[in-house]
Amino acid sequence: MTEKPQARQWTSRSIGSTFQHNIFYVLIRTGGWRLAYFILHFVVLYYILFRPAVRKRCSYYLSRRFPAEKSFRRLVSSYRLSLELGKILIDRAVVGILGVDRIKASFNDREILLDLISEGKGVIFLMAHVGSWQVALSALHFLKIPVNMVIHREEGDIDRHYFEHQSMEWPYRVIDPEGFLGGTLEMMEALKKGEALCIMGDRIFGNLKNALGVRFLGENALFPFSAMKIASTSGAPVVVLFPYKAGATGYGLKLAKVIRVPAGQGRSGEQFLPYLEEYVRALEKFTMEYPFQFFNFYDMWKTPYVN
Amino acid sequence: MNLNEELKKIIVKDLFLEDITWDQIEDDAPLFGEGLGLDSLDAVELVVIIQKHFNVEIKDMDEGRVAFQSINSLASFIRERQTS
Repeated sequence: MTEKPQARQWTSRSIGSTFQHNIFYVLIRTGGWRLAYFILHFVVLYYILFRPAVRKRCSYYLSRRFPAEKSFRRLVSSYRLSLELGKILIDRAVVGILGVDRIKASFNDREILLDLISEGKGVIFLMAHVGSWQVALSALHFLKIPVNMVIHREEGDIDRHYFEHQSMEWPYRVIDPEGFLGGTLEMMEALKKGEALCIMGDRIFGNLKNALGVRFLGENALFPFSAMKIASTSGAPVVVLFPYKAGATGYGLKLAKVIRVPAGQGRSGEQFLPYLEEYVRALEKFTMEYPFQFFNFYDMWKTPYVN
Repeated sequence: MNLNEELKKIIVKDLFLEDITWDQIEDDAPLFGEGLGLDSLDAVELVVIIQKHFNVEIKDMDEGRVAFQSINSLASFIRERQTS
């Protein structure tokens, strides 16, 4: 009875092979992150110069973020964007291979989060494919409540989560949005218990009618409003959190906004538009501050519109 | 009014279904996907609606899987929980 995905245009699969990933794991073990970063520069350069498909995947976002850029500048931006992604993947592996203490993750709004959690309705962390959410989540260890992550891993996805390098226990429970009823019952169950639910707000799963068009970087793009609907039904606050890489071995977690969605918003998505707008404006602001830490390599602006 | 009828009326009203009337809903038609055409976000609302009107909690996915097959299965689930 699972809904058929109709809107997914993106893939979570890495462009590298298992062999290439393993080379980087060996580099990290033998020479640490510095050696891995060094080699990464050449690998990224190769991909940017000789793999047009990689440049194309970068161009969807870059052409909206830097519309005035011409071909050489675009090439440089593609390189910078891909390099940032590579560094983040290396950091993730560093944490898994060399230990969590190798990367420092900071978070300044601890008290705000603790207050929201004390309301007892659970909390929805609405994130995006920016920075490294896995590393940044380690900055939330003070929460002392279970964290549920809504993620789908495709078959054949060879990217390892940091805890998979050492057969560590998963630090969060996974809810698959392609499971029974899109995992929504599990999400509600978690919130009812006062737990945290992490949802990526920038990619669509399932039915297109659960998404709304919102202007993002100058053009309409589709964003799912499921998090807002769940917040409205459960009474849980939506906390917009964006992790970002800050320096060679540091990460920060930005609390961009707290959104309250009132109950009784009805079935149509239109009522959720003002709340979704708040999220998208915050995401847009993030891309202004950290232009090379936004990792959606598909044309999120070219989805058929429902509104 | 029997439970099936009551459920249909509540679902149409509380889920703001516009293209269907309560008497067009078949007892054994699937609630989600083909059939009544509800989707995953309606399931979220339905959990709350059932609790509000019948004081019956659908606690997890396993219970939802059983209850959310059709109007018949939802009515059976509610009856069972109210008597236990």
